Amino acid sequence: MSGAADREAVFPTRQSLGIMKAKLKGAETGHSLLKRKSEALTKRFREITRRIDEAKRKMGRVMQIAAFSLAEVSYAVGGDIGYQVQESAKSARFRIRTKQDNVSGVLLPAFESFLTEGNNDFGLTGLGKGGQQVQRCRETYARAVEALVELASLQTAFVILDEVIKVVNRRVNAIEHVIIPRTENTIKYINSELDELDREEFYRLKKVANKKQRDNAAADAEMKAKREAAGNNNTAAGADDSGPADILAAEDDDDVIF
Amino acid sequence: MEGLLFNVNNGYIEGIVRGYRNSLLTTPAYNNLTQCETIDDLKLQLGPAYGDFLASLPPNPSTSALASKTTDKLISEFRYVRANATGALAQFMDYVTYGYMIDNVALLITGTLHERDTRELLERCHPLGWFETMPVLCVATNVEELYNSVLIETPLAPYFKGSLSHQDLDELNIEIVRNTLYKNYLEDFYKFVNTHSEMAGTPTAEVMSNILEFEADRRAINITLNSFGTELTKADRNKLYPTFGKLYPEGTLMLSRADDVEGVRLAVDGVHDYKTFFDAVSLGGSGGPGNMGGGSTDGKSLEDMFYQKEMEISKDAFTRQFTYAIVYAWVKLREQEIRNITWIAECIAQNQKDRIGNFISVF
Repeated sequence: MSGAADREAVFPTRQSLGIMKAKLKGAETGHSLLKRKSEALTKRFREITRRIDEAKRKMGRVMQIAAFSLAEVSYAVGGDIGYQVQESAKSARFRIRTKQDNVSGVLLPAFESFLTEGNNDFGLTGLGKGGQQVQRCRETYARAVEALVELASLQTAFVILDEVIKVVNRRVNAIEHVIIPRTENTIKYINSELDELDREEFYRLKKVANKKQRDNAAADAEMKAKREAAGNNNTAAGADDSGPADILAAEDDDDVIF
Repeated sequence: MEGLLFNVNNGYIEGIVRGYRNSLLTTPAYNNLTQCETIDDLKLQLGPAYGDFLASLPPNPSTSALASKTTDKLISEFRYVRANATGALAQFMDYVTYGYMIDNVALLITGTLHERDTRELLERCHPLGWFETMPVLCVATNVEELYNSVLIETPLAPYFKGSLSHQDLDELNIEIVRNTLYKNYLEDFYKFVNTHSEMAGTPTAEVMSNILEFEADRRAINITLNSFGTELTKADRNKLYPTFGKLYPEGTLMLSRADDVEGVRLAVDGVHDYKTFFDAVSLGGSGGPGNMGGGSTDGKSLEDMFYQKEMEISKDAFTRQFTYAIVYAWVKLREQEIRNITWIAECIAQNQKDRIGNFISVF
């Protein structure tokens, strides 16, 4: 922190010192809040990472079973049913809805899958042979898609959280390493400037006081000389009034300026 | 009597088909296949049987590519036999292809209904079910046109006539259309082998009746089992049952009334074979019928047992001489072999070796 360079452009006044102090306090509170937020997010992030790992393993297994059940279908039906299934599917049976999850102010979309009942578009596929395999294969694939949906919602949360954590950490670091030191510097600078002013003022006062003393001394000496001269003149006239008359005579004393 | 003149026209074909039958994979060959670690190994092991056809496959081919190449072999052999067939046998072989045609036509109807470009569907059609006028089906843009001007020209026209109108094509589920066609086809085929002058009373009629009756029963049972929990009503279901077979008429009547697996079991009680299937399935008992193996590795499903039975019937067909039925049996055996190879390839590709023994081998 090279002192003067890294501070805010303010005039070193008492008012801005007050503003800076308030700012520092705010920055510290914000820092601790953000730090806590970042920790909460990181915790959630770790949990999601773990769940993604689990979901991916599960998906591997489920997809394998699903692919195998498709092999069973092609064995039982003895032909390609893909086209027929594709054409007879009219409306989606497996749907997802999204809802939002709030993790310390971050909105994470979560996908939730559900089956629409009574929607069995290709229930008759493989009527002659292999129908059961087709249905079973469909169920297996429905499970596979379920796993995929879960994984998708986790992955989305992962990406969003990652982004948010980055932003929050950047803010925390910015506050910790830039804003707080800068404010502190500014405060220090204002303080030092104010001190400097104080010292200057004090020095000036001292100078003034010195000069005053000197002037006073000179004036005293002059007065004394005058009085002696007058004393010499008035010794005969009246030595008694000299005391009280003296005090009154000091009327036009200079104002003392501090 | 049939032995006297059979070989004049059909001896060569019979010899060829018996030769093809000998090249089918045997149990030791399957055992070798199941030992394979990769698809490439599998390809190598299939070399003797499928050499030429697999040669063009890239290293580590997909299972579907493998399946289509093995099907190619069946197709080319079938076409060769068909080209050499004459008279009644030629007609018989046409009948064999009608089953595949039904699938293809159903596919094209689906495409037309959904207003897709049906031309790209032609590639997906089963080559055995290819007929000359099939590309013409793509010209039709709506179902009525398809029905009135095009389907009438196909060999399947008789199966549409009388049971399906063009409104039906629009309204009924394509699966019901397909199964109605298939029912008509099976009945027609059954009638054909039993009434044609060259086949009636010959081993062909005998063996084919047996095979077709089994096929009819299998379809009836499967349709019943698969229709539980769907919008297919009992009356509609009854229309899909072929009107012959071991179960007909009492069994099919009971099937049409069945509400659950138990009802089906009662319906088939009269036929010993099917009764044993159901008993074995309920003993194995994991996940109900049709649930291929379910959790356990050796538990056979109903579907498996039907395939097994079909293969045994097909194998038995070869014990008879002077019959066209061996062509049908050979096609079925070869189809099962392709399914087996695909299954093994899938197991290897997906690293699920514990179920790899779930194929059906009869030789």
